[in-house]
Amino acid sequence: MSWHLTHDQLHQYAAHTADDVTAMSAEAHLMHCARCRDLLPADEAWLDRSWANLRDIVDRPRRGPLERLLSVLGLRENTAKLLAATPQLYRAWLTATVLVLATALTVAHELPRGSLLFSFTAPVVPLLGVALAYGRWVDPAHSLTSVTPLAGYRLLFLRTSAVLVPALTLCTAAAALMPSTSTLWEAVFWLLPALAMVAGCLSLSRWMPLSLAGGLLGAGWLLTVGVLGIAEELDPLLLFSPTAQSGWAAALTLLAGAILLRMRTV
Amino acid sequence: MKLLRRARRRTPSYGPDSTDPVLLSAVAAGETDALEILHRRHAPWLRTRLRYRCSDPDQLDAALQETFLAVWRNAGSFTPRPGDSDAGAWLWTIAIRQLISQLRKRANRWIADSTPEPYETIGDASAEDTVLLNIEHGPLGAALHELSPELRSAIQATVLDGLTVREAAEILRIPEGTVKTRVMRAKARLREALTT
Repeated sequence: MSWHLTHDQLHQYAAHTADDVTAMSAEAHLMHCARCRDLLPADEAWLDRSWANLRDIVDRPRRGPLERLLSVLGLRENTAKLLAATPQLYRAWLTATVLVLATALTVAHELPRGSLLFSFTAPVVPLLGVALAYGRWVDPAHSLTSVTPLAGYRLLFLRTSAVLVPALTLCTAAAALMPSTSTLWEAVFWLLPALAMVAGCLSLSRWMPLSLAGGLLGAGWLLTVGVLGIAEELDPLLLFSPTAQSGWAAALTLLAGAILLRMRTV
Repeated sequence: MKLLRRARRRTPSYGPDSTDPVLLSAVAAGETDALEILHRRHAPWLRTRLRYRCSDPDQLDAALQETFLAVWRNAGSFTPRPGDSDAGAWLWTIAIRQLISQLRKRANRWIADSTPEPYETIGDASAEDTVLLNIEHGPLGAALHELSPELRSAIQATVLDGLTVREAAEILRIPEGTVKTRVMRAKARLREALTT
């Protein structure tokens, strides 16, 4: 660069008092001369303010694909963020669910009476997911979230529904693929016991940690199935008989009512 | 996922004295500190220059903020010309476009924004334009003095600011045909003044 702008020219240009031709000349020069650009008087207060505004936008965390999908589905932004931030175990549980259901499907297709395995695992799958969705031992950030106004029932139910939706979808899809499925009834026979056990788990969480409640109920379910299977005159499929189904429905209604009542009073 | 993250982490080392291309590649790798250095280096002169085109400080600040946001998102698309370690021209191209879209937003809120054209460094101009860009004190300065203000502003928008005829028409608020004739007349006058 053969020449540079003088101090006066720079100040006139910055103060917006330069005449048109000088301004054009200064602009053409400044575009390529870093030295004169640095000498141009700058408004420090404005610069700091401008950067602060910019940083607010730039520093915002990028949103993950799951979060964006949830927002597209119509959830509010903060709810979507909360759902996407469920514990890491959630992902492991989802993989496990897919594996278990795939195994159950294979067994059902390969072995005689193999569909029994699916019948007894499907009701427990959503339950385990719920048990792992909220609580001190499964959520690394639990001590942080528990002191926010959001904690408690709202968070518990949000997390529960975040688990229930994929679990029920996966189970229904698996049920539809079963070899014995011919009617709608045969595809959803496991639904009532599953929902009743989830509701039971949520009710028990009043007295014990959610994971313990889920574990107890799941163990109870497996024990019942085992006992019914060993006993001579009894068939484990009794758990899905129409009488039992009405029992499950009654239990679900009662437990859901109790939960709603408790939410109101708390 | 892990591979992606590792690739993102490998950023070039940079400091307050680094050249613009180095800083821009750091910005492309997600470094906010590099963006701050660029902002500190370029925002003042861009603002001063934009102020000659728009007197509303709110719109100015909005345009500048959008400019640096565009830099933040598109830093990877900056390709320095060989031997040129300065992004001033590239930044100015973005800034003036952002100012025009700010003005357009205010003028016609009901007209949908047309898709922005990709940012290209200005300067690949005709020989005539190159001569005009070397305004120094001398015959060209004097010739520009002789021009009427509207011819001068047409030259300023198209040659100095590197705008297309359509963009110049928007910022000057005159029809495109008028911009064309004014530029032609101004260039003819200048040629005349410089050759005689």
